[in-house]
Amino acid sequence: MTAEAQRRRAFWQILLFAAGLLVLTVISAGSVYLVNKARDDNKWVVHTLEVENQLNALLLELRRAESGARGYLLTQGPNFKADHEKAVAAIVPAVDRVTRLSADNPAQRESIEKLSAAIETRLNQFAQEMDFIQQGQPDKATALVREAAAADTTSVIGRVAGAMIQEEERLFRLRTVNADRSQTFAASMTGIGSGLVVLLALISVWLVRRSAQARDDAEARLRDANVNLEAVVDERTADLREANDEIQRFAYIVSHDLRSPLVNIMGFTSELEELGKDIFRRIGGLAAVPAGGSPADVSSIPLDGPDKQLSADFSEALGFIKSSIARMDRLISAILNLTREGRREFQPEKIETREFIEGIVSSLAHQAAEAQAEIHIEPLPNIVSDRLALEQIFSNLIDNAIKYLKTGVPGAIRIRGRTKLGYAIFEISDNGRGIDPKDHQRIFDLFRRAGTQDKPGQGIGLAHVRALVRRLGGTMSVSSELNTGSTFTITLPIHWNASNRNADK
Amino acid sequence: MTQPVSIIMIEDDEGHARLIERNIRRSGVNNEIVAFTNGTEAMKHLFGADGSGLVQKGNALLILLDLNLPDMSGIDILKQIKENKYLKASPVVVLTTTDDSQEIKRCYELGCNVYITKPVNYENFANAIRQLGLFFSVIQVPPAAT
Repeated sequence: MTAEAQRRRAFWQILLFAAGLLVLTVISAGSVYLVNKARDDNKWVVHTLEVENQLNALLLELRRAESGARGYLLTQGPNFKADHEKAVAAIVPAVDRVTRLSADNPAQRESIEKLSAAIETRLNQFAQEMDFIQQGQPDKATALVREAAAADTTSVIGRVAGAMIQEEERLFRLRTVNADRSQTFAASMTGIGSGLVVLLALISVWLVRRSAQARDDAEARLRDANVNLEAVVDERTADLREANDEIQRFAYIVSHDLRSPLVNIMGFTSELEELGKDIFRRIGGLAAVPAGGSPADVSSIPLDGPDKQLSADFSEALGFIKSSIARMDRLISAILNLTREGRREFQPEKIETREFIEGIVSSLAHQAAEAQAEIHIEPLPNIVSDRLALEQIFSNLIDNAIKYLKTGVPGAIRIRGRTKLGYAIFEISDNGRGIDPKDHQRIFDLFRRAGTQDKPGQGIGLAHVRALVRRLGGTMSVSSELNTGSTFTITLPIHWNASNRNADK
Repeated sequence: MTQPVSIIMIEDDEGHARLIERNIRRSGVNNEIVAFTNGTEAMKHLFGADGSGLVQKGNALLILLDLNLPDMSGIDILKQIKENKYLKASPVVVLTTTDDSQEIKRCYELGCNVYITKPVNYENFANAIRQLGLFFSVIQVPPAAT
C-alpha cells in the first residue's frame, strides 16, 4: 500500500464523516424548524375552529335572548325573563371573546365591528322591549319587535356572522393544508436524512473494513519480514562467529608455525657465532705464525688491523639478527597470548570491586612508589564478571597510568565508578603526559604506540584490554589531551552472564 | 644391563633435529640416535609392520617427540606409545614450540615424562637439551616388558 493511497483513503474517510455530520445537523435543524412550523400551523387551525365556535355560541345566545324576550312578551312569565337576562349577560363577554380572538385578522375585525354595532342595536331593542313589557305596554313592545324585524338587525347579524364563519372556514381549509404540508415535509425530510445517514454509515463501514483488511495484510507482511530478519540476523551472526573462529585459529596456527623456523634461525645464528669465533681465532693464529712454523696457542693471539674490523662487522651483523629474532619472538608470543585469551571461557562471579582494585593497586605499589604516584580509589559499584579478565583490564590500565606519568610531577591516579542503566562505568584518570587526540584510535591497535617512546612495551596492553572489555559485553573509550592527563572509561554490564558470549562458541 | 639405550627422535624440522642432535652430543651422550621426520615412519619403526610393538620387545628406548608433525599429531603418538604394553615403559620427552598450559597438562596426563618447550633463545635451548643429556645419563631406562 502506497502512502499516497493511504492518504487518499484517510481523506475520504474524513470527508465522509464531515458529510454525515453535516447531514445530521441539517436534518436536526430542519426537523426542529418544521416541527415548530407544523405546531404553529396546527395552532392556527385550532384557533380558526375556536373563532368559529365562539361565533356560533354568540349567535346561539342572541337567539336565546330573542326567544326569551318573545316568550316574556307573550306570557309575561318570569322564567322567560330570567332566561332572556342570562342570555343577554352572556352576549357581551361572547362578543369580547370573538373580538379578542380575531384581532389578528383585519378583515374579520371589520366584520366584528359591524357585528358588535348590530348586536348593540339589538340589545338596546331588547332592553326597550323589556322596559315596555314591565311598564305594561305590550303593544309598544310588540311594535318594537316588528320594527326590529323590519329594521333587519337580526338578519344583518346573521349575515355578518355567516360571512365571518365562511371566512374562518376558508382560513381553516388553508391552514389545514398548510399544516399537512409542513408535516409531510418534516416527515420526508427526516426520512431522506435518515436514509442519507444510513448510506454514509454503510460507506464508512465499508471503508473501515477495507482499511482493516489492508492493515491485517500489512501486519502479516511485517510479521513475515520480522521472521525473515531474525533468520538473516542468525545467519549473519553464525557467519561472523565462524569468521572470528577462523581468524583465531589462523592467528594461532600462523604464530605457532612462525616460531619453528625462528628456533632454527636463532639456533643456527648462535652456531654461526660460535663458528665465527673459531674462524677468527684461526685467522689470528695463522696471521701470527710464520709459514712453516708450528702453530702456537691460537686463542691467545689478538687480531689486528683489517681482521679485527672484519670480526667486529661479523659480530655486529649477528647482533642485529639476534635482536630482531628476539623482537619477532616477543611479537609472536603476544599474538599467541591474545588468541589464547580469546579462547578462554569466562566464568562470571560476584566481585567486590573496591577490594579487588585495592588488591591490584597493592601489587603495583612498588612501581607507584618509584614513580611517586598516589592512587585514590573512590567507592565502586560491585559487579558480576570474569575475575581474571577484570584483573588484566585494570592492572593494564593502572600500570599504564603509572608508566606514562610526567617526569618530575608527582602522579595522582584516581579510580572512580558509578552505575547507569544496568551498566557499571569505571574511570581511571591520571595527571600524566596525556595522549594526542589524533592517536586516540591508534593506541588501541595491536603493536601500535603513541607519544615519546621512552618506556619498554610492545603496544599490546590496550589492544588486549579492549578485546577483553568487548568480550565482557562492554565498551571502552579514552579522553585525553597532551600534557593534561588521560581518562580511560570502561563501561561493563553489572550482571554479565556467560550465556550471551560463551553460547556463541 | 648390556643393551645401550637408543634414542628415537621424531621431529619434522630438520634444523631442529640437527640442533637437538648437536646439543645432545655436546653434552656427552653418545647413544645411537634414530631420527624420523614424520609420524608414519616413526610409528612403523616403533610398532612394527603388524602394529603390535612386538619388534621393540626387549629394546631400551628413549623417545624424543615433537607434537607438530606433518602427517599426525604427536599427542596421538604419545597416547599409542603409552597404551602399548611393550613401549609404555619407555620414557617420552615431548619437545615442542608451544608453551600452552592446556597442551602441557594434556601431555603429562597421557604419560609424557618430560615436556620441554623449544625456546627461541638459543642458550636456553642448548641448556635444555644438555640437561636432557644429563637426564639421559642418570635415568635408568627400565627393562622392556618381556
